[in-house]
This record gives sequence, structure tokens and C-alpha cells, in this order.
Amino acid sequence: MNQPTIDTRTFRLGYLTALETDDGAFVAGLLVTNRFGRPLEFQCTSAVRPTHAQTLLYGATLRPFLLGELMGRALLDRLATAPDLLLTDNDAILELRNHVGVPMARVGADLPSNDATDTAPPLGRVRIGQRILTIHTSHQSDVAALHQGATRISADADLQEPLERVRQALEETLRGQQAGIASDLKD
Amino acid sequence: MTSRTDQSRRAPEQPPVTARIIPLHLNVELFASGLGAGITRAPRCDLEHVPLITPPRFQPAWLPHWPQLQTIGLEFPEASFLDVGHNDCIAPAHDTPCQPQSTTPTPSSQTPQRKPTRLSISDTALSISDRLYCLLQPPLESLLSGQELVMPFEPFPFQYEGIAWLFSHSAALLADEMGLGKTMQAISAIRLLLRAGHIRSVLLVCPKPLITNWQRELAMWAEELPVLPIEGPASRRQMLWQVPQAPIKIANYELLVRDFEMIGEDDFPAFDLVVLDEAQRIKNRGSRTSQTARALKSQRSWALTGTPMENRPDEFVTLLEFLRATPDKSALDIGQLNRLAREYVLRRTKDRVLKDLPPRLDRDEYLQLNPAQEAAYRTAERDGVVQLNELGESITIQHVFELVLRLKQIANFDPLTGQSCKLDRLSAEMEEIASSGGKAILFSQWTKCLDWLARQLEHLQPLVFHGGVASAQRDATLHRFEHDPDAHLILMSYGVGAVGLNLQFAGYVFLFDRWWNPAVEDQAINRAHRIGQQNPVLVTKFICRDTIEERIDRVLKQKRDLFNLVLGDSDISNVSLSLDAREIFGLFDLKTGHGADARSISPQEPVDN
Repeated sequence: MNQPTIDTRTFRLGYLTALETDDGAFVAGLLVTNRFGRPLEFQCTSAVRPTHAQTLLYGATLRPFLLGELMGRALLDRLATAPDLLLTDNDAILELRNHVGVPMARVGADLPSNDATDTAPPLGRVRIGQRILTIHTSHQSDVAALHQGATRISADADLQEPLERVRQALEETLRGQQAGIASDLKD
Repeated sequence: MTSRTDQSRRAPEQPPVTARIIPLHLNVELFASGLGAGITRAPRCDLEHVPLITPPRFQPAWLPHWPQLQTIGLEFPEASFLDVGHNDCIAPAHDTPCQPQSTTPTPSSQTPQRKPTRLSISDTALSISDRLYCLLQPPLESLLSGQELVMPFEPFPFQYEGIAWLFSHSAALLADEMGLGKTMQAISAIRLLLRAGHIRSVLLVCPKPLITNWQRELAMWAEELPVLPIEGPASRRQMLWQVPQAPIKIANYELLVRDFEMIGEDDFPAFDLVVLDEAQRIKNRGSRTSQTARALKSQRSWALTGTPMENRPDEFVTLLEFLRATPDKSALDIGQLNRLAREYVLRRTKDRVLKDLPPRLDRDEYLQLNPAQEAAYRTAERDGVVQLNELGESITIQHVFELVLRLKQIANFDPLTGQSCKLDRLSAEMEEIASSGGKAILFSQWTKCLDWLARQLEHLQPLVFHGGVASAQRDATLHRFEHDPDAHLILMSYGVGAVGLNLQFAGYVFLFDRWWNPAVEDQAINRAHRIGQQNPVLVTKFICRDTIEERIDRVLKQKRDLFNLVLGDSDISNVSLSLDAREIFGLFDLKTGHGADARSISPQEPVDN
């Protein structure tokens, strides 16, 4: 796979995360924003509940497959506005990187307050804004792409915050479905 | 054969077993079979191809199967006519982040760990897409922190909340106390809605003197937004109303009424958002201004006013009708009004949100009339009351008002002798203010009184700002008051100076006479006591002892209580809110008849102040 590059002029970020409901179903959402965090597009999946057989037979690979390969890729395919960088806060979703060409990273904890700008992050990690991003171990070349993207993000940006928005939107969607409110979102 | 041990365990009565040898008498011979060599020799196998019925394959009993995944989505519109790129000022991640160009201490520096402001979901947002639209918006701080939308100053936390509230409410009455930045909050919310593509056409309506103020504020808070003032002759205005490229049109109330009638309701353009500034202007339901405002076609309606109710609850109802929060001519009780206020009104007061704003120090200055002034006053009052009593049942509120006004004018100064206890006190105080380099605003309801004061205080070179001053000259007057170090006093009428002006560089306010409405007085005072004020504001109200002014002061206090009942948290049960002319009549002890037949005179109908 070629080393991914980023168009820094129209830099867009994709925020992909998932929720597990109380009854064991999963729902995933993907928000694309511009580099300032302003939303451009949002896609979310219907709830998927793995059967008992699937849970047993997939074992530890269930979540990476379901959240990453199945749901993540479906959401990515549906986007009208493709992101230049995909971010998630879920290790299982990072599996998607094996199936797509978009650079991916997992958003980690925020920086210690006294360590915001002085200390370089460990190998395989990149600091963007106030967060440390970790890339997929099999895709070390993403580091270069992340460094390109980092130049377009404000130093005080919090890349975790949009993921919170996605989670809230997923919760709202689930609440709407439970309340029987017909969705007016586009299929 | 058994062992001894076994015998000892067995029952003692068993007979013993004995063994003996018996010969069989059989012949045994050996024969060679050849099997021994066969075992060591390799077996011979012949192979041949046999065709299978089906080709060989691995056939598991279970296949992974997942149902077809459904996805639903939402796209966010973006305003096409606004250039997003020119405001970029993004720093590399390891450099200093962008900060707003602030010339004053930022509120964020006071509260660094403040929770970001998220858009609230309006109660009227019923569809999932509307709700997600709000949920997926970033915190306002990240949009307005100088990254994408340049702000000259960082808003205060309560202002962020106000912007977010306006953004997510299609019907909204922002009733912040004067001086908290309603204009800035409205402009920022409009800016965000335009940038988000949620609205494309906005009509701003304000009093005529505030047009330039709005233009100035728009240039400061949303420099990229084109603004088209509706002005000029009728033919030009008719054309301006139809200009599609201007996202924001701004008009004054009088022109709006005139042009609405000229163009006609059917042909008058519809707007995505209509904003009424100083919305109390439409409080009288029957007025043409009110009817026109309520007839405007718009998807969103906002009203801005620090005084949503000046006299009667009906005024508040009219504003709710403009917002389409209630049908026209609704008869609402206080409980219903209170509920609607909670849903549609956002009101903050300075004492709650601006802890750091320098205090407003109110001082009621009770003065004794000068001798000649007092003589004139007593004569006028005595004669006036006699005349009113003689009118008997034919007396109207107008008659009473005329006497009130005459007495108030004498309390200001005696027209015959020129004596004025208020002027004497004012002169003394202004000497001190001027010598310390301070600036003061004086309010009166009469332009003649202001002009008289200007002549009496000529040595102070006071500036005059009232309805008699040409519009073109007003901005220059305000500019001089702010920047000329020798300009210490500006004389203003309540009608022109009380609304919309930013005079926070003045530290003194004089209410030379009292306006009939405490809300208007507050508006006047808040020209100085507002955001940006660095020092305490001393407010001096001149009240002449034993005059009509003392009695009016009591009425004003009652009205202030009324306001708190409808829009505040006070107990509203068992309280009558009706205000009628009884209070006005009550300023005098009016009687008809004589002796035992004498009885008090009461008004016949409610009065609209």
C-alpha cells in the first residue's frame, strides 16, 4: 500500500466511534469535520446485535471485525465527504486501518499540563493539539501523514471532543428509535 | 489354593481345598507353516484411478453471515456566499495557538477551567436531524476563539450561553438586562447561523438612532457579513428590499411600517430571520408598528429588549405573539405567562452574571426647593388641584397628566426666577467631577430643560444629545464626549439617549427628573453601567421633597416589583397586576363636591402609559 498523504488545503477529519447498548447491540457513528471541528457530514449505522454463535466463534476478533471491518468500512463507504484522517478512541476500530487506505489513529489521553509542548511523544505516536495519537502497529507510515495533518490543527484543539459529540449523537439516535420517532435522516 | 490370611478372614466352617496332578495321555507334534517368512516380506499393492462423484473440498458446517448494515446520515450545509478561508490564522501544533485579539482582560483568564458551551437542543426541535444538528456542533468557544471566526474580544461565559441559546431557538426573546451585550450575542448567533447555512436572509429592525450603532457593532463582531441599510427615497427603498445578495438588511421601525404598506403584505419579502431590537416598541398590540412586525413572514423570530414588560402583562403577550409562541389576542393568566417566559425568554441580570462589573451606586438625592421655586410650586399645585376638582366627573387622565408635568417642570426650575435646587446641586457636583477628569451623563425628559441647563452650565461646555439634534451630528457629539478630555457632561433626553448607546467611559449619571417608567430609567443608567465600565457608576436621582416627585417615586418602585413578578421568581399567586389610572389620580387628593357630599374622583378607564 502506498504511503498515504494528506491534502492540507482542505483538511478534513473523520471521527469514528461506537457504542454498545445494554442488550449487547453495537451502533457506530462517523462524523466528518473541517479542521476547526465544524461538522460537514455525519453517518451512523443501525444497531447490530451479534448472535450467540457469532460471539463464540469470533471470540476475541468479534469487536475488531464488527466495529472496524464491518461497520467502520460501511460508514466510510457511505460518506460523501471523505476524511483525510480517521480518528477513533476505540482500539477495536483501529482494525479498520487494515482494510482502508485512509490514515488512522487512536486518540489517547490528554497531555499533562506541564508537558504540553516540550516533550516529544514516544515512537509511533504523534501529538496533535492537546492529544497524543497512536497509530496502528502495522501502518507505521501513517506517522508521516499525521505529521502533515498536525500542521493544520490548532495547538489548543482537543481531538477527543468531537468523539464525545458522536457518542451523544448515537445516544440521541438510539433514544429516538426507542421512542418510536421516525428518523428523518437520509438512508 | 488359599493363603493363611484369607482363611483367617473366611468363615471358620469352610472345608479346606487340596490340589493334585492328573496325567492327560496326549501326543504333541511340530509342523512348518511358512508364515514366519511372510511376516517379514513387504506386501504388494496395485493402484488404479477411480473417478469421484463430486470434487473433493472442505465443507464447514457454519458460515459467517451478518445482516445487511443500514446507515443513515446527515449533511451540514455551508454558506456559499461567505469566504471561509480568509480568516485562517492557524498555528502549527507546537506553536502558540491562535488567540483572539483582545485589548481587555479576557474572561477566560479569570475562569480557565470553564466548561465549554454546547448548543442546547431547543424544545421545539422535534426531528432527529434537528436534534443531531445541535448535538454535533462544536463548543462555541472553539468556533469563536479566533480560529475560524475572528472576534475582537472573547465573549463572557454568559454571552456564550446566550449565543448558543439564540442559535438553537427559532423563537426567542433575549431579555438580558441592559448592558450585558444583547447586540453582540445576537450578531454572533446570526453569524454562526449564516456561516452554517441555516439562514440566508436576516432583517434587523431597530429604532432609527440605533442604525449606526448596529452597523458599527456588526462591523466589529462580524466584519465579513455584508449589511444593507434600508434608506433613501421610496423608489430606492423598494429596490433595496428586493436585493437578494445582502444577507442582512437593517431598517428602522418607521421605515418598516411605511414600506410594508407601500409594497404590500403579499409582495413584501420573507426572511429566514427577523430580529427586533428594542422590541418593546411593538408592545401596543393595536399600533401599526406592532401589527406590521407581527405580519412579517419569517422562519425565525427573535426579540431583543431589556424591558419585555414595562407596564402591563399585555405588552409581554404581544411580544410572544410576534414570536408565534401564542396565537394572536391570547388571554393568558400569570401562570401561563410565567411558563411561556421560561420557554421563550432568556434573561440575565448584571448582578448575577457580571460579578466583576464595577458596582452601580444609587443615590436618591432629596432636595429642598429654593424659596421662589417652592412658592411657584405650591401655587401651581394648589391652583391645579382646584381646577381638577372643579372638573368633577368630567376629569380625564390627560388633565391630571398636565398638572403632573407642570409641577415636575417647576421642580426642575422655576421658569420665572430661574431658581433650581437641582441645578445648584448639579453645579457643585460637576465642579468636582470635571476637576477630576470624570464624565457625566444627565437625563431629563424635556429638551427645553436640557437646553436651559446647557445655557446655565455654559462654563462646562456641556454637549447636548436629544431629538432636536440633527441625526448627522449625533455621532460626532458622542465621539467628542468620549475623546475630548474637556467634555465632562452630556445632556440627554430619555427618548433619544436611553437606548442602544455605549457610554461606559462615563462614571456618573444624573437623573435630573424621573421618567414615568423605571425600565426606561434603567436603560438610561445602563448606557454607562455596562460591560467595559472600569469604575463604579454613581447614579444620582434628584427628588424634590414634598413634591409630586416623591409620590412618583413610590409608583416607580411598585412598577419595579411588578416586573419581577412576571419575569422573576417571585410568588405570583394572589397578586393583581392590573395597572390603571388610579395610581395617576392617586398622586393628588382629588375630590368632587363639598362638605359631607365630597367624594374622591376616580378614573373611568385604564390608561396606557
